[in-house]
Amino acid sequence: MTQLNIPIESMSLPNGLRVVVSPDRAAPVATVGVYYNIGFRIEPRGRSGFAHLFEHMMFQGSANAGKMVHIKLINSSGGVLNGSTHYDVTNYYESVPSNALERVLWLEADRMRALKVDDENLRNQRDVVKEEVRVNVLNQPYGGFPWLDLPPIAYRNWSNAHNFYGDFDDLDAATLDDVQKFFKTYYAPSNAVLLILGDVDVDEGFKLAERYFAGIPSGPQPAPADIDEPPQIDERRGVVEEKFGTLPGIAVGYPAPRRLTPDWCAAAMLDRALHGGRAGRVYRSLVLEQQIAVDAEGGIHYPVGDLFDYNGPTLMVTRLLHKPEYSADQTIAAYDQILDEMKEKGITSEELEPIKVKFRSNYFSMLEGGHGASIPRYGLMHLLACFTLFDNDPHLVNSILDGFMEVTPDAVQSVARKILRRPNRSLVVRQPAKKEAA
Amino acid sequence: MASAPRSEIHTTVPALSPERPVIWPPRGRTTLSNGLEVVLVESHTIPKFTGQLFFRSGNAVVAAKAPGIADMTATMVRTGTTARASRQIEEDLRRMGADLSSGAGADTSVVSFAGLVDFSNGLLRLVAELTQQASFPADEFERERRQLVEGLRIERATSGFLASERMRKVLFGAHPYGAISPTEAQVESYRLDQLQDFYRQYYRPGNALLVMVGDFSPQAMLAQVEQVFGSWAAGKVDEAPNPALPELYGRRVYLVHLPDAVQAQIVVGNRAITRKHPDWLRLTLANSIYGGAFNSRLVMNIREQKGYTYSPRSGVHPLRQHGYFSISAAVRNDVVAATLSEMFYEVDRMRSTPVGEEELADARNYLTGLFSLGLATQDGLAGQLATSTLERLPEDYLETYRERILALTAADVLDAAQKYFDSANAQIVVVGDRPQLETQAALFGKMEVYDAQGEPM
Repeated sequence: MTQLNIPIESMSLPNGLRVVVSPDRAAPVATVGVYYNIGFRIEPRGRSGFAHLFEHMMFQGSANAGKMVHIKLINSSGGVLNGSTHYDVTNYYESVPSNALERVLWLEADRMRALKVDDENLRNQRDVVKEEVRVNVLNQPYGGFPWLDLPPIAYRNWSNAHNFYGDFDDLDAATLDDVQKFFKTYYAPSNAVLLILGDVDVDEGFKLAERYFAGIPSGPQPAPADIDEPPQIDERRGVVEEKFGTLPGIAVGYPAPRRLTPDWCAAAMLDRALHGGRAGRVYRSLVLEQQIAVDAEGGIHYPVGDLFDYNGPTLMVTRLLHKPEYSADQTIAAYDQILDEMKEKGITSEELEPIKVKFRSNYFSMLEGGHGASIPRYGLMHLLACFTLFDNDPHLVNSILDGFMEVTPDAVQSVARKILRRPNRSLVVRQPAKKEAA
Repeated sequence: MASAPRSEIHTTVPALSPERPVIWPPRGRTTLSNGLEVVLVESHTIPKFTGQLFFRSGNAVVAAKAPGIADMTATMVRTGTTARASRQIEEDLRRMGADLSSGAGADTSVVSFAGLVDFSNGLLRLVAELTQQASFPADEFERERRQLVEGLRIERATSGFLASERMRKVLFGAHPYGAISPTEAQVESYRLDQLQDFYRQYYRPGNALLVMVGDFSPQAMLAQVEQVFGSWAAGKVDEAPNPALPELYGRRVYLVHLPDAVQAQIVVGNRAITRKHPDWLRLTLANSIYGGAFNSRLVMNIREQKGYTYSPRSGVHPLRQHGYFSISAAVRNDVVAATLSEMFYEVDRMRSTPVGEEELADARNYLTGLFSLGLATQDGLAGQLATSTLERLPEDYLETYRERILALTAADVLDAAQKYFDSANAQIVVVGDRPQLETQAALFGKMEVYDAQGEPM
């Protein structure tokens, strides 16, 4: 087995900003990321969707780079840029020919230092975000299924349960004052990590980080948020109307183990045994063999996150679209049978070992790309950031596979018995709307 | 010169440093005696490899007989061979740490695969088996047929699909490019022997291209490829028909009614050119300035200034025989007319005024930079090589791409916009809730209205 040996060097600036450099000079391109330890889980009450709206505001202008300057400077240097809001982090990233590296760092430092936005920018991006929600959720078959459907059913703590994309009333209520307050609270250097990957050497990377970021004043570290969930004692269920799609959908979620625990490694293998594509038990049984469902997918922290990028309560999710001639109850019964069999009979090493090979292979692909072909090493950047912010150890990228490769069949069965319990789960049915006869 | 004082460091944009040249990885290109073209490239980013086995025949070549049958054939090849049942295939893929997908577009069919280099021989053997010994099991066929039908029903409720479908029909009419997917009735009438015929005729080495990129030595990999694919019998293949295209005079509006839609999907389009056309790069650059980048005029206007939409873009779409240009955005219902006005305003500005030197240089840099980024991953490299080889572009197409882009002028951009952004004869498709949109849409030309099934209303 290939032992990973990705070069990783890290340090901290006096203002608390952590810096991680991972050089690879093979191609003359560099990827830069700045990750802030704030996601949509802990946005302010009455301001659902704000963390994501705020992410848009970070492209609207900073102290020395006004509206559109960020985008123009990166595109005109031959690069691409974007940002995204997750449960527990928000990222901003650029991939550029490496001769533009210094410029990218200057821009990221400028918006970490001071956001310079006005009411017109806020109104503009509020409109843009509403169209984003419409195109991705409200006007899409199965939009938000199940990533927006399950949290309000599964959770009791508002932080975990609210509408992450935002109710339009809450988006309308957001003010410029909210924007600056959020920036002050969560965007301090000590709440972030800077990542520089690709065509740069370590000393140069550190030197540039120092030059552009060291002068940013430190700020108070935000108080840790309460994202704990009370224990669940009964199965939770909900129904959501499906406006466009013709097939009924069912999604089921079971609380996933905490990251970096032995149960987490075992649950990852359990998840792949159940949801690992067409060879996974759920797809094979429900779609290929019994032909009750026409699609079946799933995963830990699925579908808007993965095994590595959560740092609080989340679910192992199964998402099914089934044939209308089967009822929801029949479909759930067939699904339960698959889980019961796993709990009762476990898994053989003949089944588990290939799952590990596939897991390792997927991990390599994630490191290299993971975000289309135009952001080289997006996946490596994402892992380095999460391991730094959540676990304080970017080097886990090189060693994390070991824990998964050591999982035994007994451990998979035992974690299955522990988490796949009906009183523990949440379930949502997407019910197609009744259409009047045409 | 002394370095700048600290305050200036923060207020002044750093200049670009000198560019490091793009170094091309060693690559081998050869044709086996049975006609199979092979392109192999080293890339040692991860201990994996990725490959695509293309056949230069897709849905277009059989459109008159059974629309979509190439895609269904490609779907079926992974469901059974004379040596392995469906379940065995899936488990073998997992054992090798491999991913595999298969499908067909208008012009090509393709089996794509990626896996750990330790298992490259096993994966190549499986790909060879799928493409030479597929068994087309009848029960798998009925299951896939049902899944396809259910998928089509969901697509008929998706505004993006409905917009593309109508636009292609308008631009290409009865030509095979006029349909992007089969109807339910057509799928219901598929027969296994049609799939088998397609497979026998077109899955042939003389019709095929194998592109592989990864952590291997091209020489050693070529030996494996010869061993696995060398005995595949050649065959003779015919070209897709190229019937006449509809005449398009004047702007026309096509409104597709999707009841209860809360947003309008707009697509404006006209026919353009293929990648082989001498104007291709000029058009690519013009498109990039118009709406092909975040920093483009369309995005600045209707997103960053006006907030009409999250997702505006324009694109040039090359097919083998023809191509087209499109402008699209999903907008809120009350700004359909305003959005179309801005789209045409920006089109007419591109057609009437030469682009300034700075904007031109920025766009050239964007395209050359994007190209370099695309070479830094195995998938990106494979994609670039597949495009240039499949389309039979000149041997040095990729190596000279950057310098040819950098040589383009404002006159080239103006010329391409005048020729290919056909403002006067643009075709307009709007998908959404009819009562909220039709008065606005009708302002832009003679209008036809369709339902989501494609029937006139």
